[in-house]
Amino acid sequence: MKNILTITWYSLREALARKVFIAFIIISTLTVGLVTLILNVADIVKVVSSGYQGNYFQAFTTVEMMFISPVTLIGILMSIFSSASFIPVMLEKGNIDLLLSKPISREQLITGKFLGGVLVVLINIAVLIIGVWLAFSFKFSIWNFNFLLIIFTITFTFAILYSVIILFGILTKSSAPGMMIAYLIFLIVSPMLYTFEFKISGLLINSFLKGSIDFLYYFFPKTSEIMGKITMSLALGNGIDNYQPLLTSLGFLILTLGISIAIFRKKEF
Amino acid sequence: MNAIEINSLTKVYSSSFNKKQTMALQNFSLNVTEGTIFGLLGPNGAGKTTLIKLLLGIIFPTNGTAKILNYYIHEYKIKSRVGYLPENHKYPSYLKGKEVLDFYGKLSGMSGSSLKIKIDEMLELVNLSKWGKTKIKNYSKGMMQRLGLAQALLNDPDLIFLDEPTDGVDPIGRKEIRDILLNLKQRKKTIFLNSHLLSEVELLTDRVGILNKGKLIREGTVNELTQKKQEYKLSIEGENAEQIIKDFDNRISFVNSGNGYYNLKVSDSVQLNMVLDVLRNNGIIIKEMVQQKDSLEDIFISLIQESEKKELQ
Ligand SMILES: Nc1ncnc2c1ncn2[C@@H]1O[C@H](COP(=O)(O)OP(=O)(O)O)[C@@H](O)[C@H]1O
Ligand SMILES: [Mg+2]
Repeated sequence: MKNILTITWYSLREALARKVFIAFIIISTLTVGLVTLILNVADIVKVVSSGYQGNYFQAFTTVEMMFISPVTLIGILMSIFSSASFIPVMLEKGNIDLLLSKPISREQLITGKFLGGVLVVLINIAVLIIGVWLAFSFKFSIWNFNFLLIIFTITFTFAILYSVIILFGILTKSSAPGMMIAYLIFLIVSPMLYTFEFKISGLLINSFLKGSIDFLYYFFPKTSEIMGKITMSLALGNGIDNYQPLLTSLGFLILTLGISIAIFRKKEF
Repeated sequence: MNAIEINSLTKVYSSSFNKKQTMALQNFSLNVTEGTIFGLLGPNGAGKTTLIKLLLGIIFPTNGTAKILNYYIHEYKIKSRVGYLPENHKYPSYLKGKEVLDFYGKLSGMSGSSLKIKIDEMLELVNLSKWGKTKIKNYSKGMMQRLGLAQALLNDPDLIFLDEPTDGVDPIGRKEIRDILLNLKQRKKTIFLNSHLLSEVELLTDRVGILNKGKLIREGTVNELTQKKQEYKLSIEGENAEQIIKDFDNRISFVNSGNGYYNLKVSDSVQLNMVLDVLRNNGIIIKEMVQQKDSLEDIFISLIQESEKKELQ
């Protein structure tokens, strides 16, 4: 356990050196500044609330999400970009030899790196979301603590994608393939499969095609649902009505990480 | 007791890329006694680094077994008592000297104030005390090597693997590294040293092995390997010395090496005495006579050539 923590801690150090934190802090500050400014100029909540039959709370949260969603999206894209080099750098000649010569198992090494990357994103996303949340809460004196739960859904989304980055980092020793596949899953595969499964599949007659879509939908992680529907529902305080996307995605994460470790255990450096 | 026990270790690298197979180590067996310095010599590509990597679990053997400090090599926990200086070590360049040591120290199971004290002690040992708070990307190659040594010794290991430790280090730095290693030996540590620099190994090691193309072709003490030979260095003085020596022509190799010194090769001591008699009967004074030894370098080259010849046959 101590070994894992050492690797985790020094991953934070690495992220700090790569200016990941500074980039996030700039984004967070800009966002909070923008939120404060706009909220002071116009009462958008009032405008929006007319659209929600006067449900002020729902309008408030929706506006809050309107600010937070694009920023967290950028946050995830940035996190993928900055964490993609973690594994390849670790696997560089002269570095990995030395790590493996220490009394640390290969499982611990990968687990430590995984937790390190996730922790970096957790901290940064938390700062961002808490900042925006404070700006809104002070302005409207509405203290919706449920909103803070989305820190976890967004970090979880990253964790899933990061497991893919780790797998391809180990396989290729370079950062580009993992990064590209993570972007592909996040931006294209997941939203597309969601649309296929819930909007198109019903219209199909061919049962093989239907089955294939089903399979792909359940196999691939549901990052767009987690970042979208589930996050919104949590922010509104409605909880999670269907755990399936979370559980199947968790399964994907564990599988990917498991395969990564299995491959890494056999790899020579 | 043995610090290292290697039993017919074989390593074949196979590249899935072009289906090429490299036999990097072939049926390698060796024991290294606790508290001694062992030097593994061999030209580039002989398999020296491969052997160390096998022993440390960085790569896996194709065949054979090995133990370090009485544990089979796949048992990773024993490595808390091992130190390693890789051939081309690379540390995260954004770290400071002290942070590098802190990181690897923690991974070796150290912590708290004892680690802090040890880090300062090690920086002192390798003359980097003033540089502990400098980022290592500003270090010179020699400084990196010294930091690497500090890293390898940080956990006070019982067994230390050094892969070409004096690579890129200036002569003074080499002497310092040598002194550190001799001091470790006094403290009963076992050192396994890889080098293609023969002079280095000669000065330090108790036993040496000579490796070529993955095969251990000779192993023994430096003295055993560098046996005396029938070659003498003579300093002589006399009026017609040159002429008398010329008379030996063809029968005995007698070469002027300048400053009144001559190199004499004979077949045995009977012949040697014959030559000395002739010299003295002609009024020549023998001022000095030293029997020549094969340097490790000579042995090394002739052994490698011998094994290459065998391979051709
Ligand atoms: N990862 C690898 N894949 C394929 N061949 C390798 C690999 N590492 C080393 N070799 C080959 O194995 C042989 C021994 O290499 P090495 O152990 O590095 O030698 P040395 O350290 O004595 O210079 C060389 O022929 C080298 O090209
Ligand atoms: Mg080598």
